[in-house]
Amino acid sequence: MMEKLKLGVFELTDCGGCALNILFLYERLFDLLEFYEISEFHMASSLKTENHYDVAIVTGTVSSHRDLELLKEARNHSNYLIALGTCATHGSVQASVELPIREKLKAVYGDEGNPMRALDSKPAVEYVAVDLAIPGCPYNKDELYQALMDIAKGVDPVRPDYPVCIECKLNEYECVLVKKGLPCLGPITLGGCNAACIKSGLGCIGCRGPLPGEVNPASEYEILRGLGYNDEYIVKKFKTFARWEP
Amino acid sequence: MIIELREFTRVEGNGKAEIVIEDGEVKEVRLKIVEGPRFFELLTLGRHYYDVPDLEARICAICYLAHSVASVIGIERAFGVEVPEEIQLLRELGLIGEFLESHALHLYLLVAPDVFGYPDAIRMATKHGELVREGLTLKAFGNRLRELIGGREIHGINVKPGGFGRYPTVEELEEIEKQSEALIRLAKRAVRVFAGLDPYGEKAEHFVATDGYLWGDMLIAEDGEPFHYTDRIEEHSLVYSFAKQSHYKGEAFFVGALPRLLLKAEMLTPEARRLFEEHRKKLETGHVSYNNLAQAIELVYSLERAGEIARTLLDRGIEGENVPIEPREGEGIGYVEAPRGLLIHHYRIDSEGKITYSNIITPTALNHAMIEASLLREAKALYGETDEREMVQRLEETVRAFDPCISCSVHIVKL
Repeated sequence: MMEKLKLGVFELTDCGGCALNILFLYERLFDLLEFYEISEFHMASSLKTENHYDVAIVTGTVSSHRDLELLKEARNHSNYLIALGTCATHGSVQASVELPIREKLKAVYGDEGNPMRALDSKPAVEYVAVDLAIPGCPYNKDELYQALMDIAKGVDPVRPDYPVCIECKLNEYECVLVKKGLPCLGPITLGGCNAACIKSGLGCIGCRGPLPGEVNPASEYEILRGLGYNDEYIVKKFKTFARWEP
Repeated sequence: MIIELREFTRVEGNGKAEIVIEDGEVKEVRLKIVEGPRFFELLTLGRHYYDVPDLEARICAICYLAHSVASVIGIERAFGVEVPEEIQLLRELGLIGEFLESHALHLYLLVAPDVFGYPDAIRMATKHGELVREGLTLKAFGNRLRELIGGREIHGINVKPGGFGRYPTVEELEEIEKQSEALIRLAKRAVRVFAGLDPYGEKAEHFVATDGYLWGDMLIAEDGEPFHYTDRIEEHSLVYSFAKQSHYKGEAFFVGALPRLLLKAEMLTPEARRLFEEHRKKLETGHVSYNNLAQAIELVYSLERAGEIARTLLDRGIEGENVPIEPREGEGIGYVEAPRGLLIHHYRIDSEGKITYSNIITPTALNHAMIEASLLREAKALYGETDEREMVQRLEETVRAFDPCISCSVHIVKL
């Protein structure tokens, strides 16, 4: 029998959802375990068996020195590193608080300053090279499943390169931007979520980050202004998950 | 001397503890939350109210819907908006989904391996596969409800001030009614598994919960008198933790499944009520470890209540109308029971609908002092009696009984 690949899951600072979503694979988790052995996954297991990983998954932002050390461990001890979720790939919501870390800490903890060596939140990809980045808040677990299966079989995982709008059209959802005038970031946001928010009749909030390549935030900006949204509102929206510059 | 517990496993988020030993005795325990701070209150300041529940949902994945609902209720109260029963029932259905998803995760995947002597549920599955699969089935059904009401399994945006983006269909509600009934059998088995465990951890003396079962206008404690959190709960910063600590009238207190049962048993559904009565004596001792048993009873409650809600909505029919919202200057607090305990969202909003003040206190931050008290008691009992490895494992189990959600605990803003 083929030797299983050693898989490590490393959580930096985040909501826990990216690690949790792996468990939400349910029965398919057992399918994955035909190919992988979990060697580090502290949310799910008390066992730590390895110091080397064939595949390591890192979730969250680097928000403390502890995170940075853990990220380096994951990179230095793995052959294939996946940055999973928008915190790891783009910084997500916590990286959008723009004050310097000292001021943020002061606002929250008072004058005692920085009790635990906090850093400004930044995505994992800003510190180390990764082999694959899967964004999404949360990411689409089918995409992760497929990527892990592909890696196990020696195939390069497919990387989506189309906007959310494509999935909206495929599902025949009504365009909430044009028909309802809702602020929808679908045109400039990387697809792969199956247009989950538009399914609810609501606008895309941009949680998968910018479409790579020919994204045109300036045009989206003008559309939203035309719909009556003010500059401050649009800029905040653009900067929430990824740092779009209009 | 300091004994350092490495980062806890099988809990959500990143935390550890230190046990301070002086003259051969346990003197102090420090619960250190090492998860980085995420500054959610600062994130929401100046934001338009409509977008805030979606942002607050990101505080936690296990209980995102509790955050959305608490946020929405806080905003609606600030504007003086009341939503009709239909919307309330649907929100309740979503929260129930979250109870099922979160309790099943905690009991079957995080705690059960301790009960059966395995490092994790995956390895436990070789001998106890059926139990693990039952847990995953309950969890999947909980997530089905979260997806239906919240729009996605994690971080959906369907819960909005004044209503929903999309309302469930008759077919979907019929499916919920059928499935919830079919799954009660599994939840009752969980009650049997967790009722058999010996107690450990501190005996809590103060309990706090919302005055309704899943949310409320006010809070209640042992004396039954409704109060606002600002009257009896105080928070302060710690030098060794990113999470703050809270006290109730100056003392450690407990929020979560056990406090809910003890304070609100009369609101339970019939079978859950019967199970509560059956185990009442144990539960009333207040041992924090019985929180696991209380969660198992809440699985039964959640499934019964989900069926009731689905039936009620099917009988009346779904109107699917949102309540229109006109922003005005105001202040509001949303009190919600997240699966692991009381959650507070407090906002002030200006006349344009922008957030000018926000304060969020999460269950794990409220339990922080109680977790330390519990660790201290266990450490005192175990130090010198067992080897260090055994002691450390036992202390981890004590922390785990609280079902701590460490990611959530680090967002408290200074007033």
